[in-house]
Amino acid sequence: MDLNLILQLTTSGFLLGGVYSLIALGLSLIFGVMKIINFAHGAMLVWGMYIAFTLMNWTGIDPFFSFAVSAACLFVLGYIVQRTVVNRIMTFHESMQVIAMVGVMMVLENMAQLIWGPDPHSPHTKYSLSTIWLGSIMIDTPRLLAFLLAFLIAAAVFVFLKYTDIGKSIRASADNRTGALIVGTNVNRVYAVCFGVGAACVGAAGSLLVPLMPVSPHTGFPFKLTSFAIVILGGMGSLPGAMVGGLMIGVAESLGTVFIPSSLKQVISFGIMVLILLLRPKGLFGGKG
Amino acid sequence: MKKKMNRRTFLKYSAAVGATTAIAGVPTLLRAQAPEIKIASIQPVTGVISDIGISMRRGNQMAVDDINARGGIKSMGGAKLRLLLGDSEAKEDVARSEAERVIKDGAVTLVGPFLSGNAMAIATLCEQRGVPFVMDVAAADEITKKGFKYTFRVFPTTSKFADSMLFYMDKIMKEKNISKIRGVVTNTGDLFGRVQGATFIKALKDKKFPIEVLGHVEYPLGIQDLSAEISKIKALKPDVLFPVARPGDAKLMIRELYKQRVELQGIISPGSPGWYEPEFIRDMKALADFVMDNVPWYNPVGKMYKEVNSAFSKKFPGKYIDTNSGYAYLGVLVIADALERAKSTKPDDIVAALKKTYLKQDLMVGLAVAFDERGDNINADTAMIQIIGQSIKVVLPDKAAEAKYIYPMPKQIWDRGV
Repeated sequence: MDLNLILQLTTSGFLLGGVYSLIALGLSLIFGVMKIINFAHGAMLVWGMYIAFTLMNWTGIDPFFSFAVSAACLFVLGYIVQRTVVNRIMTFHESMQVIAMVGVMMVLENMAQLIWGPDPHSPHTKYSLSTIWLGSIMIDTPRLLAFLLAFLIAAAVFVFLKYTDIGKSIRASADNRTGALIVGTNVNRVYAVCFGVGAACVGAAGSLLVPLMPVSPHTGFPFKLTSFAIVILGGMGSLPGAMVGGLMIGVAESLGTVFIPSSLKQVISFGIMVLILLLRPKGLFGGKG
Repeated sequence: MKKKMNRRTFLKYSAAVGATTAIAGVPTLLRAQAPEIKIASIQPVTGVISDIGISMRRGNQMAVDDINARGGIKSMGGAKLRLLLGDSEAKEDVARSEAERVIKDGAVTLVGPFLSGNAMAIATLCEQRGVPFVMDVAAADEITKKGFKYTFRVFPTTSKFADSMLFYMDKIMKEKNISKIRGVVTNTGDLFGRVQGATFIKALKDKKFPIEVLGHVEYPLGIQDLSAEISKIKALKPDVLFPVARPGDAKLMIRELYKQRVELQGIISPGSPGWYEPEFIRDMKALADFVMDNVPWYNPVGKMYKEVNSAFSKKFPGKYIDTNSGYAYLGVLVIADALERAKSTKPDDIVAALKKTYLKQDLMVGLAVAFDERGDNINADTAMIQIIGQSIKVVLPDKAAEAKYIYPMPKQIWDRGV
């Protein structure tokens, strides 16, 4: 088999896996703390993309810099969604939660279509076509930058959760909601912040994806499905699990195209998901949720 | 209530979301008015292909408005057409339920639906309900091969696409003294993509055409990353890429070809969208140049084309009549013509009139619309278009050509200094 091809596919998959990780991190964080599955995750990714895209059109700021703006906007959006929708359904049966979250997804997705139109945009950014060549292996610069930034953002989230007061409250509320309430934690606020942080992660990831793929209202859907697979692979609610899972799925999907038709690409991630559920239902990293 | 969510319930609801998204269609409020004939447009207005879906709906709607402005269906006392709107979301099941809804709401004929898979679902239902269905765009041969009595197709079939493609390729190869081309065929994994890719490959084999297919790459509709697929194609070292694409993946493909420095003599689509929409050229700029596409294109010298296009561009700035919006317009004209001759809204009268259709038009390349016994338009045709200097030119057949085709590409994609 062509070694170059294998190396090329591994590199591309690994780098994109970094962005997968960041998307899954947000999903896993929200699930880990609130036990709510954010079905609007893909739509939030799209909003992150469009915010970066719009900023680029208006001001010329590259998405690799404006990811902070996307993250901030999505934090606010996440905060509002938690306060207005999620908070009201926290004690409901799961099936009712799903309906509300899918509703949020539809509203966000179709609002994006109303505001920005249905046409896919592939804006030309400074790095969107630049590459670095290592021998015959091509490293896509925007992919590399997205990978590095995704891991930096993830590291920042880890530091936030570990060392800040609100971060500690988030972890406390995740571990024991009643306990957190007893010691006087404002659990509602903690939840809203946590949802905001989860949304900010996916917003930043959206921004990083702008130079890589067409921005359209429905871009988010496949990412949402993939991030479900990643979260299950890594362990529900486990943040390191989401990071490692993202890389694994990225490489597996890319390499898989050698052996099976690309149209069956998602079979790989879902195949892995099914195997994990059968053999190690807690996921690779145990699942503290 | 204490709630408990574990992995299994998570998984269960992950599946549930798919089902729930499928029922997203928002019913349109409709009021019955006396001298109106309801027809329905079902297009993928939301979902993975919403850009084209909206363009199609606009084409349908504009034709209805134009017919009404000219006095409606004259043989029926100037009855006005009313277009009921359906959104298939690019999903077969939704296409069917939307068709069911508009039929219930009183649509006497349906038009649509761009996607062949959706067309199959709607055609099957229309057959059961006995309601005429005019496919404006949908190419897969399989649909009309089912022997439906109520389904007609204005658009060319995939076999027609393949025949024209081979005709044009033969001409190019002869003129350029090329004895053999080594190519890779790519297509999206939806019904149209599959059938279009497979029909082209089969036609090459059946006719022992000197194009060797080194590889056939299929990827899902709405794909977000083509890096792996292009790496695979690069390893095969083809002369020409024959892609059957959609708008999003066409752009992804060109960018990956640039980044991975894939050396090609040409990119020639056997017939698919993605390569001629204004957004493709806007975003790809010089990278779009020299791409060729074998499409049912508008007739650049047609009077009807000029009128419709100028109204369309005025109404929707930045857009122009292309394959899809053009055929969407034509589809409604065919229905109006049949109603005019049928003088009735009874399904069987409409079908009888549709069978006798001979609608002269110079909106699209090809002659008057007329249907064969299967319901396919025998005069639907394609042209070879090419992007030259970032604008679209008809290059073949010679009689319609606005410019001479350029083959092989004088400059590789990655050498265009973007």
